[in-house]
Amino acid sequence: MTVAGKAHTPHASETGAAVSRSDDGAVPEAAGAALWSVGAALARREFTRFIRQPHRVIGSIGQPLIFWLLLGAGLTPSFNAPGLEGMTYLEYFYPGVLMMLILFASVFASITIIEDRDQGFLQGVLVAPVPRLGIVLGKVGGASMVALFQTAILLAAAPFVGMTVGLGGAVLLAVTLVLISLGFTGLGFLFAWGMKSTAGFHAIMMVIMMPMWVLSGAFFPIEGVPGWLHGIMMVNPVTHAMTILRAPFYADPMTLFAQGGYLLSFAVVLVWVVGCLILAALRVSRRDKGVVSAG
Amino acid sequence: MIRIEDLTHVYPGGRRQSPRTAVSDLTLHVPDGRFTILSGPNGSGKSTLFRILCGLARPSRGRVLIGGRDLLADPASARALMGVVFQSPAVDKHLSVQENLMIHGALYGLKGSAFRARLDEALAWTDLTGRLGDRVDTLSGGLARQVELAKCLLTRPRLLLLDEPTTGLDPASRRSFLSALTRLRRERGMTVLMTSHIFSEAEDVDSVAIMAEGRLLAYDTPQALRARLSGDVLVIDSPEPDTLAARLRDDMGLGAIRHGDELRVDEFPSGIDAVVLLERVLAGYRDLVRGITVKQPALEDVFIHVTAEARAARRVGAPESQETAA
Repeated sequence: MTVAGKAHTPHASETGAAVSRSDDGAVPEAAGAALWSVGAALARREFTRFIRQPHRVIGSIGQPLIFWLLLGAGLTPSFNAPGLEGMTYLEYFYPGVLMMLILFASVFASITIIEDRDQGFLQGVLVAPVPRLGIVLGKVGGASMVALFQTAILLAAAPFVGMTVGLGGAVLLAVTLVLISLGFTGLGFLFAWGMKSTAGFHAIMMVIMMPMWVLSGAFFPIEGVPGWLHGIMMVNPVTHAMTILRAPFYADPMTLFAQGGYLLSFAVVLVWVVGCLILAALRVSRRDKGVVSAG
Repeated sequence: MIRIEDLTHVYPGGRRQSPRTAVSDLTLHVPDGRFTILSGPNGSGKSTLFRILCGLARPSRGRVLIGGRDLLADPASARALMGVVFQSPAVDKHLSVQENLMIHGALYGLKGSAFRARLDEALAWTDLTGRLGDRVDTLSGGLARQVELAKCLLTRPRLLLLDEPTTGLDPASRRSFLSALTRLRRERGMTVLMTSHIFSEAEDVDSVAIMAEGRLLAYDTPQALRARLSGDVLVIDSPEPDTLAARLRDDMGLGAIRHGDELRVDEFPSGIDAVVLLERVLAGYRDLVRGITVKQPALEDVFIHVTAEARAARRVGAPESQETAA
């Protein structure tokens, strides 16, 4: 601070005195908050906004639920996948609907980035002395909270289709859901950050995310599809997310941790999440830079 | 408080646009505890300068120090010193006043009792007491602006940056907003930098900076700026301003400034003052005059004078600058 200026001019010493006299903390000025408390404050805002818009709550739960019930009921008679004998389509499709719910919730939650920029809220956050990763965590964390709130409601339906999990399985399932929603919202964040129109963002997300979801094994089993499609599905990260989301319903965590395939899928999702968060933080800390010469 | 040195900002060109220089070689020092108004016509570069000052854009060249801290090298520590009020409101309209303030407090590490103490202090500067639980979209425009002021004050900034904060406010709200700023400067010793093109706002501040085409044309106290126009200003409202300007130039050697439909004369040949000139213009060009006034120069007149001068200077230097651009 202006220690030298304080000594020389009466005005500056007045300011200095005002600052040190009236402060109640150790720091003589507003220091930036820590990463987590920034993230928590912004995430809480996200969730409060969501809850205050009841039509958003109803719409985001209703759509996948209706989708699941109608498709499940309609396709169950003809569903006879190899290796999955005795499973109804309603049951097969259930984790896929969970995935779809997270996907939609994340897409809609990422749209709020564009709204925040448009309405001016974002610039207030950007000029605050906070770590840029905190801004990302707030948005992505808040969006994930919204997504998890919705999936929690749908999870209550699991026992009705004969899917039950033990305590260990439930914990693993919760961790998995958090990871997946962070992955999708992170992806949404990356796309939404540079975009100006919500309609454009919506279109782009549907073009990119819907195929990722359809080709993840959510909709139809990966076994028995043509070879080229199998290849695409295997490099699709959502397929791996689907694998780790489905698994806890059918095996206990200890068995799963001993399976190479499960661990591989888990690692893929982890890399996806961390990668998105890092890229998003880099993206946020990039300020518009003027070019060096007009020539 | 603010030291801007040789600042240049060039926007990158697009496929159809060539790169555009918004700020060029600007140097400006704002001492502690000053209330400064930054003014300029649209496109003068003041918004770009504002974005750079609050750390949202990085300039092409130059240095910016805020309270001695390098804004470009260490943005977080410089940001901690300032509060920013943007032209478009940076509040969440779906949340209540208190919720907005809490989020802002959290961004600056304020919570619990420290937050509550600061909250009361910040609210004392506004008329928001009693409206804390109201959603921001139910407040009037003037009160919504005050939410932003309260937000900024929570963090006890030493520098307040405001971008046309009174746009869209009625005269009464505008006056009370400005008087809060003036008191903040006086009682807290806060440095205030505000962009505005409403000159009545600038008459009582400590200094006025006038920008046009990315350059700083004038930076002085309002009194000193007004003194640049030595005498009165003759304002002629004419149906054909260009014709009249040409005839004044040819017949009397007068350089009149065209401003909208008006012609302005603020420099007079020796021995002639505004009133004498008024009589001569009326006598000689009655059919080209719809109305004619002699007035004391106000800041707005200085602004018109200074920007017109800059335009004229550029026209003279135009071939040269085209050469350098090519």
